[in-house]
Amino acid sequence: MSAQANPLPRPVSAARGRLRKNSLEAIFWYAVLCLIAAITILPFAWVLLTSLKGPTDAIYSVPPQFFPHDPTLQNYVRVWKLLPMANFFVNSIVVAVVTVVLNLLFTSLAAYPFAKMKFRGRDAIFFLLLATFVVPPQLTTIPSFVLAVTVFHYYDSLFALIFPSLATVFNIFLLRQAFRTVPDDLLDAARIDGASELRIWWNIILPVARPSLATAAIFTFVNSWNDFFWPSLMLKTRTNMTLPVGLVALQGAFSSDTRAIAAGVVMTIIPILIVFITLQRQFVRGLTGAVKG
Amino acid sequence: MSKRLNLTPYLFIAPSLAVIVVFVLYPIVAVVYYSFTDYNIINPPVWAGLKNYQALVQDPVFWKALQHSFTYLLVTPTLIFLSILLAIVVNRRLPFINFFRALYYIPVISGSIAVGIAWRLIWDTNGLLNSTLISLGLLQSPVQWLAEPKFTLPIAMLLTVWLGLGYYMMVFLAGLQNISEELYDAAEIDGANAWQKHWNVSFPGLRPQITFVAVISCLAALEVFNEVLVLFGGLGGILDSGVTMVFYLWRVAFGPQAHAGYASAIAMALLAITLVFSVFNIRFLERGTEAE
Repeated sequence: MSAQANPLPRPVSAARGRLRKNSLEAIFWYAVLCLIAAITILPFAWVLLTSLKGPTDAIYSVPPQFFPHDPTLQNYVRVWKLLPMANFFVNSIVVAVVTVVLNLLFTSLAAYPFAKMKFRGRDAIFFLLLATFVVPPQLTTIPSFVLAVTVFHYYDSLFALIFPSLATVFNIFLLRQAFRTVPDDLLDAARIDGASELRIWWNIILPVARPSLATAAIFTFVNSWNDFFWPSLMLKTRTNMTLPVGLVALQGAFSSDTRAIAAGVVMTIIPILIVFITLQRQFVRGLTGAVKG
Repeated sequence: MSKRLNLTPYLFIAPSLAVIVVFVLYPIVAVVYYSFTDYNIINPPVWAGLKNYQALVQDPVFWKALQHSFTYLLVTPTLIFLSILLAIVVNRRLPFINFFRALYYIPVISGSIAVGIAWRLIWDTNGLLNSTLISLGLLQSPVQWLAEPKFTLPIAMLLTVWLGLGYYMMVFLAGLQNISEELYDAAEIDGANAWQKHWNVSFPGLRPQITFVAVISCLAALEVFNEVLVLFGGLGGILDSGVTMVFYLWRVAFGPQAHAGYASAIAMALLAITLVFSVFNIRFLERGTEAE
C-alpha cells in the first residue's frame, strides 16, 4: 500500500467512457440509492416523527400513523424539565472537548519520536503499544473501576472519563503514520538553526500534519460523544451523566412514554449530526487514511 | 549520533506511556491476578487458585455466552459482503452521489445507544414493524420480537450491521478508487460483463481492505455490548438469549452478584479468543508500516 496521502474519494474515473450517458441507467441507480437511503433514514424519521406527536396521535395503530396531526414540542419540554438534559449536554461537550485537546497533545508528543527519532527501546515500546490495541477495552474495566474508587477517587465524576482517555494507542499510531511523511530535510534544517525538538514538533510537525490532526480530533470527539460502557459504570448521579448514559436513564424513567424517549434520542443525535455535516470532508479523508492501516 | 543517552524522545512519550501503563497495561496484569481470586471490588481479593476457572467450565451461561459470541461473528462476512456491494453502488459518477455517501454514514456517527433506542421503537410489540406487517396482511397479530429468544441475537446482529455499514462502505470505496482503471478496461476487452468485472477485478483488488475490515469487525463483534443492553435490557434478553461474553462479564462484575474475580476469569477467556485475532491484527498492522 502506498504511503502517499490518498486523494478524497471522488466519483471514480473507472467508469469514465464506459458509462454511457444513458438516462435509464441513471434512473435505475437513483432508485437503488433512494431505496438504501430510505432504509437508512427510516428509524431516524420514525423517531423524529414520534417525538413530535401529541397525546391524541397514535404511537401504535394499524395502519401506522407516520405524521402527527397536531405536531407539538411538548415532549421535548417534558424531557428537558424532568431530566437534567442541560447537564447531559454540558457534560458530554466538556468531556469530549477536554479529551480531544489533551489526547491530541499527549499522543502527538508521543508520535513524534516514534516517527522521527532513533532511541533505545523504540521498537519494543511501540510493539507493546500496538499489542494493547487489540485488547477488548471492556477487559480492563474491572481494575480500572478499582483504581477509580480506591486510588483516583473520581468515581461519579467527569474526571473518570477524561483521565483514561488522555492517550490512545490508535491516535499515536495514526499520527505516527502522518508524521513520517514530513521530510527529514525540513527537520534537519531546523536543527541546524538551533531549534529544540519541542520547537520542531510545535512549529514544523504539527502544522504540516494538520489534516491528520483534524481527522484524529474528529474521530476522538465522536468516540467520546458516543462512549457508553465505561461512562455508565462511572456516572451514577443524574447531573453528572453524559448524553448516552442519560439516554439510558431516560429509557428507564420514561419507559411507557415513547414520545419522551423519542425526543431524548433526537436531542442526542442532533449535535453530533451538526458536527458531521460541518466536517464531512475531514471524516471522509480520515477514513481513506485509516484503510491504509 | 552521540553515545550519550538522549532523554528527549523518552520525555516526549512519557505522558502517553504513563496513561497507557496505568489504564491499559496495569489493568491487563491485574485482571489476570483477579481471575485467581475471590473478589467483589469492596473487600480485598482473596487467593482462590483455579476455583473461578473450574466454575467457569461448568457454567452453562458461560458456554451460552461463548456460543453467542461466536454466532455474533457472522456479522463479519455479512458486513464485508454488504459493504462491498454498497461501495460498488456509490462508486459511480452521478450528481449528488456525495450526498448519498454522507447519508449512509449517518448511523455510524449517531452512536449505538441512540440508534438502539430508535430501533426499539420499531421492533417493540407496539412498534412500527408490527403495525406495518399487520396492515400489509403479513401478520395476524403483533409479534413480541424483543421478547422472543430466537430473535434476540439476529435483531442485535442486524443492528450491528446497520450501524457499521456506512463506515465499512467508505473503507471499501477508498479501496475501489485505488484500483487501476486499466484492469477494468482489460477485463472489458476480454468480454467480461459487469458482474464478472467486479468478481475478477474489484474483489481481488480490495484484498487489503477485506483483511482490515475482517479483523476490525471481528473484534467489534466479540466486544458487542451496547446493542444487547439497549434492545434487551440489563439481563441480556429472555433466558440469557442475548448474553455475549462481554455482556456476561459486565453482568457478573457489576451486577448484583458483584463477583469481579469470576468476571475476570470470563475476561481471560475473552482475551484468549481475541488473541487469535490479535496476532493476525498485529501482523497486518506491521505489514502496513513496512510497506512504507
